[in-house]
This record gives sequence, structure tokens and C-alpha cells, in this order.
Amino acid sequence: MTTTTDSRAAERAQRTADSRYIPQAGLLLEVDDLHVEFRTADGVAKAINGVSFNLNQGETLAILGESGSGKSVTAQAIMGILDMPPAVIPKGQIRYCGQDLLTMPDDQRRRTRGPEVSMVFQDALSSLNPVFPVGWQIAEMFRVHRRMNKSDAMERAVRLMQRVQIPAAKERVKAYPHQFSGGMRQRIMIAMAIALDPAVLIADEPTTALDVTVQAQIMALLQELQEERQMGLILITHDLGVVADVADKIAVMYAGRIVERADVYELYRQPAHPYTKGLLESIPRLDQKGQQLAAIGGLPPNLMRIPPGCAFHPRCKYAQDVCREDRPPLREVVPGRESACHFAEEVLHG
Amino acid sequence: MYKYILRRLIQMVPVLLGATFIIFAMVFALPGDPTAGMCGDRPCSPAFVAQFRTEHNLNDPLPTRYAKYMVNLSHGDLGTNFRGVKVAEDLKQRYPTTAKLAAMAIVFETVIGLIAGVLAGIRKGKFIDNLVLVSTLLVIAIPVFVIGATMQYYLGVKWKLFPVTVSSGATFYELLMPAFVLGSASIAYAARLTRTNLVENLRADYLRTAVAKGLTRRRAIGVHALRNSLIPVVTYVGADFGGLLGGAIVTERIFNIQGVGGYTFTSLHNRDGVAVVGTVTILVLVFLLANLLVDLLYGVLDPRISHD
Repeated sequence: MTTTTDSRAAERAQRTADSRYIPQAGLLLEVDDLHVEFRTADGVAKAINGVSFNLNQGETLAILGESGSGKSVTAQAIMGILDMPPAVIPKGQIRYCGQDLLTMPDDQRRRTRGPEVSMVFQDALSSLNPVFPVGWQIAEMFRVHRRMNKSDAMERAVRLMQRVQIPAAKERVKAYPHQFSGGMRQRIMIAMAIALDPAVLIADEPTTALDVTVQAQIMALLQELQEERQMGLILITHDLGVVADVADKIAVMYAGRIVERADVYELYRQPAHPYTKGLLESIPRLDQKGQQLAAIGGLPPNLMRIPPGCAFHPRCKYAQDVCREDRPPLREVVPGRESACHFAEEVLHG
Repeated sequence: MYKYILRRLIQMVPVLLGATFIIFAMVFALPGDPTAGMCGDRPCSPAFVAQFRTEHNLNDPLPTRYAKYMVNLSHGDLGTNFRGVKVAEDLKQRYPTTAKLAAMAIVFETVIGLIAGVLAGIRKGKFIDNLVLVSTLLVIAIPVFVIGATMQYYLGVKWKLFPVTVSSGATFYELLMPAFVLGSASIAYAARLTRTNLVENLRADYLRTAVAKGLTRRRAIGVHALRNSLIPVVTYVGADFGGLLGGAIVTERIFNIQGVGGYTFTSLHNRDGVAVVGTVTILVLVFLLANLLVDLLYGVLDPRISHD
């Protein structure tokens, strides 16, 4: 087992050196001023309004936000699986190893999906094709991208299923998705996503549809694989608890913008944005049993009518006149901490 | 699986009994005398009528006649029609033509229906989609005898592209136009069914996964979406085949095809109850078996369906 892992690691390193031009040490993905709009008959919904972040090799970035904050759209834009139209990307760059994915020819970009950038979806039951055996669906990655023959590809599929700890993988390789439990299905989804050793793995709410105990197992598996393969992992979630142990950095999104970015530990200890603070306070805690839960008042904004100034101001208890007119940029508050709030210092220290 | 098949076969018995009894009762409840017109211009002699009625059990009460018929049927005897010919003989002669016609209609239905449906589905909202939607609506709205007679007049009589009627030999070439006419409505339904299912599956989560896997659009649609979209279409086409095997009374009349549909019609017209019941018994059996096959096929196509 160790030898295969070693040889695989060597093979991977070789391939990485061959095919991946990494301009800056370890820098895999740069998202730069990304904008995404949905142009529908009812109007234009501005889902993402200038998102920028970098992802390094071996790094886990958690993107946190409510539904409608733009976190999933960001993931789909990176992956290139937005339905265009109605989605439009009017501005921005997504550079993978220095190359802009958005201006790349379609076929070239298609070839990056799987071997370079890969994705795990939320609901594994609907995300796997119901009429093909799971082994076949994993093997398809090798057959399409590596032109491998059927039996070799199936063998690789079995090995991957073993790697993600599916019991009796050899026997179950011909089983269909509906014959697995939710946790096992998500493992299959993960096996498929890591099949071609991608440099970047995006997990879009990978544990939302699962039981709490299974959630922990899946997160542990993702973390293990990420460390083993030194992938850059983007973890998209609305659940602060899920990412706490796994992520290195957290970006909090609100109304299509990153409102706070920090190391996980720092952010949990002392949020520098009122929205993050509200999120943290709204987590039920055992030591405050019997007390009123501090939910954030109001609703996330309608993306067709994002409030002027700071998008969060209608729900913010720190809001002043300036917040209604002037949109605060994301700025460094203290070293390593960024917040898009006029009163970040007060939030941080208050 | 075998248990399921066995259960289904046993279920056929009451269906078959019920269907034959209803047909039996209805046919013999029709007014009219089967001996009328049997003896040329004169009325038949009372002696002949009496003999005919005894021979065909026409004097017995309905339940007795049905019981006698079913006893014969259980020996594989479909009865003798009023012209003194075994119904089984008649059917043996006519069934190949009907089966051929039905098979050709199904080929039209599958090929044209699928191609039109897929083209419309992947170009949803575009010209080809609207073309398919409008033309299929038209075909569904127009009765088959209008389509049949119109095609017969233009393609057969006026432009002489196809034979106007079908000879007793019923060659492939002669059956082309009738098969298209017979299948026309089903072509339209199959096309619409394919389109609807494809459009739905193109929005499915697993198709997004297929794209995220780096598959080409052709493979994502052609393998992943199509395989799922075709499950209901295959089911429809299979059930339709069972129906078409029952003969096509209208289409067979228009093109003078010597098939089962025409036979049923003539027998009904002549109050030849035995011939009608015998034919319908076979048709019901074929239809039930075709449906069983479709259900089994469904289990093969969709792994989520289990017959255990």
C-alpha cells in the first residue's frame, strides 16, 4: 500500500511538473474581480459582484455564506458549468496556473475539468446518473480523459472505491447509485472527483444532505485526501461548524461579495464584520441553553435590488449613514484580517 | 424475477376471461341474423336455418354458448366461423401481414420520432423545436383516415410514387405508405415524449456532473441524458407495438390490406360472432404479452425498477 502511494505520488509530481505551469510557488487558482449576472425576463440578478481570492497548493479555503450569497455560483463559474445564458460573466478572470479559464477555447477548458479542476456536489443521489453502475461512472473519467480500455478503467475505479473506504468495493462496483447509503454515495462522488488527481477540488456543500455523524466522516475523508494529494480545496458551505477543523482560510460572502477573509482560528475568535459576528452568534450553544438565540434579523437582499452602499446595512446593528451611501471595500484591518466594513475595528475589538 | 413473470401470467387469466366474455356477449347481442344474405337473393330455407343454428349453438343461452366456446378454446380451438372456415386458419393467413405492417410502423415511429424529438430537445425554443412541436400537433389533430386518404391520393394516385393499394402478397414496398400512415400519430407522440424527457434530463443534476467530469457535450447528452430520456419512450413504443399488432381497422380499409383489422371488421359486419371472438381472444393475448415484455424491459432499462 505504501509503495503504491509513493509511486503514485511520484507519478503525480512528475505529471504536475510536466503539464502544470505554476507561476508562483504553489499558487494554483486566482479569481480576480469576478462578476456573474443572471439575465432573466424579470431583470438582472447580480449574483457575484467582484470576488477575488487565491488558492494555493495544499490549502483549504472555505467559502461561507447563506443561500443566495453567491458561493455556489462562484464554484460553478470556476468549474465552467454555469448555464450561459441566462448566466453572463461580464467581468473578471479565473486563472488556473496562470491561464485564464474564461477566455480559453471550449475544448481546452473541457479538458481541464477532471484532471485539473474537479468538483463534488451536494446531493450525490441526484448528481450521479441513476441508470449507470457507480463503477462505470468512475471509470468513465479514465476512459474519456486517459483513453483507457474498459477493464483497466474498471480496475482503477475499484481502487478508487477502496481508497474512499467503500466496503466490498470489488463486489459493489457494478451496483447502482440508489443501492448505496447517502454517505457511501458521497464517497463515490468524491472518488469520481479525485480520479484524475486534480490540482483543485471544489466541494459544494458536500455534507449538507448527510447525517451529522456521516458529515464528520466525509469531512475527514476530504481532509485526508487533500493532505495526501496536496490539492487546493475549496469548501463551500453555509455551516460554520463543518469547516472549523478543516479549513485554513475562510472567506465569508454576502450578496455576491466577500465581506470578510481571515484564518479560521482568528475569524472564530474575533470576527471583524458584523455579518460574520451575527453568523457566529446564531450557532446554538450548549452553554447558553434556555437563552434566546441571536438570529440575524431581516432577510438576505434580493439580488435584483441590492441595497446601495453596504449591502448588509439594512440588517446591521452597526449601520450609520455612511453605510447607506458608501460601499466599504475589502481592506486589511489588522495583518492577515480583511473586512469590508466601515466599522471593522469596532466590530473586531468591541 | 421468475416469480414476477409467473404472477403476471396468472393475472392474465381473469383478464382474458373477462375480455372474451364481454366481447362474446356484445357480439351476440348485436341485432341482425347471420343467415340473412347467405343464400343469395332468396331467404334461406327454414331447414337450413335450423341446421345452421344448431351447428353453431345459436339456440343455447349465452352462458352455455360461452362455456362451450371456452372449452373448445382451452383445447386450442378458436372455433369455426360461419363460412365454415377455421378461425385459426384465417388468422394464420392474415397475421403475417398485420405483424409486418405493425413492425414497419414501429420502425418509423422509433426512427423518425426519436430523431425529431432529440433535435427539438437539444434546440429547445429554437426553430427546429417549434417546427417539431407544430407539425406533431398537426399530425395528432388530423384523423388517420384523412392523412391516409390524402397521402394515398397524392403519393399514390397523382404522383404515382407508391402503390395505391396493397396486394394480398403485401410486399415491403407496398406497405411503406400504409405503415407511415398507421404510425403517424405515434411518431408524433414519440417525438414529443422524447423531447419532453430530454429537456427535463438536460436540467438534471447528474448532467451537470457529466459536464463537470469534462465530458464532451455530445457524450454528456448522447450517453447520459439520452439513456435516461429513452426509458419512457421505449415503454411507450413497446405498448404501442402491442396495440398495433391488434390490426389497424381504418388503415387496412384505406389501403385494402388483408390483415387482422380488416378481418375483424368484415366478421363484425357479417355478424360472424365466432370469428370476432376468436380474433379478439388472440389480440388480447398478444396485447397482454406485449405489455408484460414492456414491463420486463422497463426493469432492464431502469435499474431502480425491481421485479423481485
